Amino acid sequence: MKWNSESRLNGLALLVALLPVWEALSRTELVNPLFFPPMTRILRSFFLLTISGELPYQILVSLERAVAGYLLAALVCIPLGIVMGLWNQVYRMLELLIEMARPIPPPVIVPVAMLFFGLGDEMKIFVIAFSCAWPVLLNTYDGVRSVDRVLMHTGRTFGLSRGKAIAKIVFPAALPQIMTGLRVSLGIMLILVVISEMVGSSDGIGYFVLDSQRRFKVDQMYAGMLSLALTGYALNQLFLLLYNSILAWHKGLTRAA
Amino acid sequence: MKPLGRINLPGLATLLAVLLLWEGFSRGSASLQLYFPPVSRILVSLYELIFSRELFGHLLATLGRFAAGYLLAAALAIFLGIILGYSRLAYSFAEPLIEFLRPMPSVAIIPVAILFLGIADAMMVAVTVYACAWPVLINTIDGVRNIDRTLLYTGRTFGLGRWQALRKIVLPGASPYIVTGLRISLAIALILVTTSEMVVGGSGLGYFILDEERSLRTGNMYAGIFVVALLGYGANRLFLLLEGRVIAWHRRMTAGETV
Repeated sequence: MKWNSESRLNGLALLVALLPVWEALSRTELVNPLFFPPMTRILRSFFLLTISGELPYQILVSLERAVAGYLLAALVCIPLGIVMGLWNQVYRMLELLIEMARPIPPPVIVPVAMLFFGLGDEMKIFVIAFSCAWPVLLNTYDGVRSVDRVLMHTGRTFGLSRGKAIAKIVFPAALPQIMTGLRVSLGIMLILVVISEMVGSSDGIGYFVLDSQRRFKVDQMYAGMLSLALTGYALNQLFLLLYNSILAWHKGLTRAA
Repeated sequence: MKPLGRINLPGLATLLAVLLLWEGFSRGSASLQLYFPPVSRILVSLYELIFSRELFGHLLATLGRFAAGYLLAAALAIFLGIILGYSRLAYSFAEPLIEFLRPMPSVAIIPVAILFLGIADAMMVAVTVYACAWPVLINTIDGVRNIDRTLLYTGRTFGLGRWQALRKIVLPGASPYIVTGLRISLAIALILVTTSEMVVGGSGLGYFILDEERSLRTGNMYAGIFVVALLGYGANRLFLLLEGRVIAWHRRMTAGETV
C-alpha cells in the first residue's frame, strides 16, 4: 500500500497512537493523573454521565437558553436590518447608537443582565441575544444594501406591493448574507451560553464543567468538554445542512455564472 | 477637523434623545435609579474613578493580559499556520485534532487552565492565547495555500533561499488573510480576558464590573463597561491604522486590477 501523505487518516492514526501513550503516562503517574486522568477514565465518565442522563440534561438546559436567545436576536435583527438597508435615514439615525454599543465585549453584559433579571434563564437569553445580534444585524443590512435596485423597481412596476416586494425580492436576494451572519452568530451563541453559565448559574453545561473542576472531578470536567465539542460540531453540521437546502438555488446560480 | 457635512446629525440627535430620556426617566423614578442611574451620575462616577486611580489599576491589568495573550497567539498561530499551510503532510497530521478542538467553545478551556495554572495572570493569558490562535491559524493556513505556486518557483529559480522566499513571497502573499484572522482575534481576546477575570476574580475590568454589580454600585458598573467598550474601540482603531500601513500595497494592487 502506498502511503498517502495528504490523507487525513494520518492525523487519525496519530491520535489513536497517542491514546495508549497518554494512558500509560497517566497510569504510571509520569504525568500527574489529577490533571491528566487516563483517557479510558474520561471516556468511562463520559459514557456513565450520558447513560445517567446528567450530560444530556445539562446540554439540553444550555441549548434551550442558547436557541431562545439566538432566535430572539434573529427575529429582531433581520427585520431591523432590512429596514435599515432599505431606508438610509433609519440607518443614519441608529448608526451612532450601534457604533457605541458594538465594541462592548459581550461578557461584560452579563453583570448588567444579572442586575435586571437575576440568575434565571432570562439573564442568559438576554446576553446571548445581545451578542448574537450584531453579526445578524450588520450582515442583513449589508445584504439588503447590495440588492440590485433595478430588481426592486421592476417588481414594483409589475404591481407588487411594498411588502410583497420585500418578501419576494429583497429578502431572498439578501438571504446568502443573512445566513452568513447567522452562521457567525451560531459560534458566538455557544460561547456566550457557556460564559453566562460559568458566571451566574446553577445548571447548564458551562456550570457543569466549571463546577467539576472546582470539585476536582477532573474526568467529569473533560467529559463535559467532550460533550460541548460534540454539540458544537453537531450544531455546525445542522446549520450547513439547513444552509445548503435553503440556498441550493444560490449555489446553482453562482456556479453557472 | 472633520467637515461639518460628514457629521451624522440624525444619528447624533437619536443618541442625545436616548440619553436625555434615560436621564429624565431615571431622575423621575426612584426604583429605576438602581438599574439605570442617570447618565450624569455615571459620568460623575467615571470621573471619580479615574481620579481615585482605582480604575486605572484594573485597566492596566486587563490591558497587560490582553496584549500578552493577543501577541503571543499571533506569533504562535502565524508560525504554525505557515508550516501547516506549506506542508500538506504536516496538515494531514494536524487536521483531525484541529477539527475536533475548533467547534468546542473556547471559553470551556477556562476550567482546564485554572486546574493547571491556578488563578494567576498566566491562566488568563493562556486561555486568551488558546482562543485567539484559532482564527489566525485557520486564516494563515488558507493564505499560505492560496499563494500562487508559480511565484514560489520563480523565486527559487532566481536563487532565493528558503528563508528569503518565506520573507519575500510567502508572508506578503498570505498577509491579507493573516490580517483578517488577526482582526477577528482582536475582539475574541477581549472576550476571553474579561470572562476569565469574571470567573476567577481579583483584578481587571471584568472583575471590577462584576464586583460593582454585586455591591449594587451600578454607576460604577456602567462606568466600567464604558471603559471596556472604549478599550475595544481603541484597539480596533489602532488595528485599522496599522492595517492601512501594512496592507497598503495590497489595496493598491487590487485597485489596479479592477481598472
